[in-house]
Amino acid sequence: MLDETTRDAILRVRDEAADKGIDAFFVMHREKSHLMRIGNNSVSLNTSVDLTRLDVEVIDGRREGSYTVMGDITGPESVRSALDAAVEKASLSAPKDYDPISPAVQGNAEEMLQYDEALEEMDSRDKAVVYREIIEGSGKGLNHSGSWSSGSTEVLLACTGNGNLAWRIGTDQQFSCVLKHPKEKWELASFQTGWRAGDVKAGATLAAFDRLLPVYEKPGFRVEPGEYTVIFGSQALAEIVGMALGTGFGGRGYEEGMNWTCGSGVGDRILSEKVTLVDDPDDNDTFRFGFDMAGMTRSRFPLVERGVMKSLLYDLATAARYGRRPTPHHGSVSVVMAPGDGPECPLEAVKKMGRVLFIPALHYTHIPNRSKGIFTGSSRFSAVLVEDGEMVRPIFSSRITDTFQNVLGNIAALAPWRASVNGSSTYGRRMPEAASVPGYMVSTGVRISDCAESF
Amino acid sequence: MKYDELDGPVGKGIAGVMDAGAGYCDARYYAEDGSETLVMYDGNLESNSSSFESGLGVRVLYGGAWGFAATSRGSDVAQAFDKALANAKTAAMLVSVPLDMGVRPGVKGSYSSPVQKDPFDVPLQEKLGFLASMDERLKADFVQRRVVFLYLQRMRNRFWNSEGSIIDRNLVNCFANAIIMAQDSDGQMQRRSKSLHTTGTGTRGWEMVTDPDLWSGRFEGMKEELSQLLSAPELAFGRRSVILLPGQGHLQVHETIGHPLELDRILGYELSFAGGSFVTLDSFGKLRYGSDKLSVSAYGSIENSPGTFGFDDEGTPERDYLLIDKGLLVNCLTSRAMISEANQAAGRRVFESSGGASRSTAFHKAPIDRMTNVNVLPGGDGTLEDIVATTEDGVILDNPTSWSIGSNREHFHFGCEIAWEVKGGKVTRVLKNPTYRGHTLDFYSKLSAVGDRSTWVVEQVPNCGKGEPNQVMEIGHGVPVMRFDDVIAGEER
Ligand SMILES: [Zn+2]
Repeated sequence: MLDETTRDAILRVRDEAADKGIDAFFVMHREKSHLMRIGNNSVSLNTSVDLTRLDVEVIDGRREGSYTVMGDITGPESVRSALDAAVEKASLSAPKDYDPISPAVQGNAEEMLQYDEALEEMDSRDKAVVYREIIEGSGKGLNHSGSWSSGSTEVLLACTGNGNLAWRIGTDQQFSCVLKHPKEKWELASFQTGWRAGDVKAGATLAAFDRLLPVYEKPGFRVEPGEYTVIFGSQALAEIVGMALGTGFGGRGYEEGMNWTCGSGVGDRILSEKVTLVDDPDDNDTFRFGFDMAGMTRSRFPLVERGVMKSLLYDLATAARYGRRPTPHHGSVSVVMAPGDGPECPLEAVKKMGRVLFIPALHYTHIPNRSKGIFTGSSRFSAVLVEDGEMVRPIFSSRITDTFQNVLGNIAALAPWRASVNGSSTYGRRMPEAASVPGYMVSTGVRISDCAESF
Repeated sequence: MKYDELDGPVGKGIAGVMDAGAGYCDARYYAEDGSETLVMYDGNLESNSSSFESGLGVRVLYGGAWGFAATSRGSDVAQAFDKALANAKTAAMLVSVPLDMGVRPGVKGSYSSPVQKDPFDVPLQEKLGFLASMDERLKADFVQRRVVFLYLQRMRNRFWNSEGSIIDRNLVNCFANAIIMAQDSDGQMQRRSKSLHTTGTGTRGWEMVTDPDLWSGRFEGMKEELSQLLSAPELAFGRRSVILLPGQGHLQVHETIGHPLELDRILGYELSFAGGSFVTLDSFGKLRYGSDKLSVSAYGSIENSPGTFGFDDEGTPERDYLLIDKGLLVNCLTSRAMISEANQAAGRRVFESSGGASRSTAFHKAPIDRMTNVNVLPGGDGTLEDIVATTEDGVILDNPTSWSIGSNREHFHFGCEIAWEVKGGKVTRVLKNPTYRGHTLDFYSKLSAVGDRSTWVVEQVPNCGKGEPNQVMEIGHGVPVMRFDDVIAGEER
């Protein structure tokens, strides 16, 4: 929880800078992060860090400079030295040929809607107990891996343009468990997410493995390249939707002719009528931030309505350069896809469709051609062949190379329920992000371009 | 804090956890981990940012399991040791394969990247003036987007371990990239780019960035190639030879030789994130990874590369050795704990000693098995022109636009910026939107030509991702021009 020393130091230096006419924006980021990693049925790493970062961005006319320092804020001096570094960088910078938009804290905020002290302070022994239960309860002779990241993220935003202060603290966790056959190398996976201690349950993972283990006792199936009806699980669907938004809805890419949406505009139908997408910071299945990291206030923001493109996303730099209004999408977004009217169970949805591939998650997706909306990635965890609504055999590592327009355009069924998919990474600072998407999507005519001889 | 001020508290911390029953302990203090990112986009300086980190990371092996903790507060040294030990004790609750570091004598040493002009000593205005001059050189009527990117790193740290090692390192990395883009006749964005490479010898300071032979000397060629792409036909689907220039070949090697030969992946320690490997412990000394033209080294005694760092984050000196010898798989990228476990699991001594490949990206991340420099040794098939002259039907490919690899690295799909068609030993025309794909062992078995030293450069990779918590690492790849036959290239629709 934010201590007064940190808060007072930032506010004091902000006021000093405002008095001097400096245009500065401050972001304090503090994370308490814990991660337990499992490999070969053992804890392979148990790590905890408590890190504080301060970003200062200064705009000096058409010049800009920013400086980030990691370390405790022990008083105004620590903030002042970061401000001085940013001021110096801005003063030496080259001017832009347009007027930058200064980030500004649009409103006061104090948020702790998703904060659970019990998760922030969770004893890592509790994680070891859950993993032990899973290891002992599933797949004798199989190899368990996984990771369980948990912690808190606290941010404080202030600027010299006004007296507002935006503060948020929240907790989050991301759990995975992978079950691998040591010889065959097939992999089952279970993912869980949440923001409260107790959200992750060994039983949920054990049940997921139990459903699939009998299918995986059968030999693997090599999928001949061609077009297939595919059930995408929520992990795969969230990934496809996230990439489609990233390469189709970014204002920069759109203005500069790079996006797959460039032949269309706001108001045009670009995807199946079954697709409705919003950025909804009030959705409790995502990580809720009432403001973004540029200080903009967030609210429900329509992206696609029944297949029709509703808006583009503009960061401050792109908005300034192209004379657009910035949108509040700096940092974590809350992509929510409306559920459909398919049956509860994906197998029921494909009962009369003959041979179908069930691909719950995609591995290592990339974009060979952004202009055409082509993406490629391969099946990995828990992928199976389905015949007349029955899971019959596991499938070997199969590559999908297709377009967003096709996969999100030819939807035969969407789950009537939604699943929360945690999309956070732990590369840089802790910044939890999750999407809430239908539990499955059935798409027709999906191109399988290659298949390995193994899992 | 000064290193000397920490020697006492760190020594006390190490002694404390060893007295408490730990099997091994190390600590890394970063006095400075700094970076500077400058991005000029169409002549506008869109990123002008610097960052600075400093702190201590402590790793404790207790009961065969790792605990790690880090702090950016100099006053918290003792607490960091306590926390790392407590984390290791918790980890030891769930151990089926106890990890073991083996026993090594302590090492005292130091390493500094060879630098003539430290990039952090170059005034910002000089760097910006240089960027502006580079941007100016990328201009042409048909060029719609220009990006000049500079990423500089400087790291100073001290390493201590429970074997008495003390190692100081001062590392400098300079990465640069230039991209130009324009829409083609079909309204699709095409691009050409060039990243700063090294020759493998010499220094790696600011002087490298400003050396036209390593970067900006390619700008005129890039513009010519982009202009040709704008009216070029698309590469048609089919089987043909592919000739990979180092700008593409280094990523092929990175993804399908480097990653599958990381021992932690082979042993199954990356399954919950990056994936596994088709290589098993039985493969070493037996598996034909490629044709006899394929020889691959780790480190390679390259003087100036981001994969050259003197000592790894376990204090092991970097070591030059072969991973693949004339097509035969002989070794992999290793750290101490992983070779100990592999030898136990195999029931024989598969690996003699650590490959010095245990690396961490920051004081607050625990080291894992990484690539250092993974290099294809130059071959005897002459220059690019010589290789083209003996190619009946193929394409020359350069610079990745996309990369997607199977989870055990058994298959791959790459997209590239440009293809040059080769027919009857001659380059005939430029083709756009090239892609190719393959299955790793089959692909390398069809390696039919390897260029000589004149075609070999060290490409720098600033952004290899792996591990949980995720870590971005800097790596080098010395690669020559390579030709592979009978490869599926282009898309079916
Ligand atoms: Zn990599």
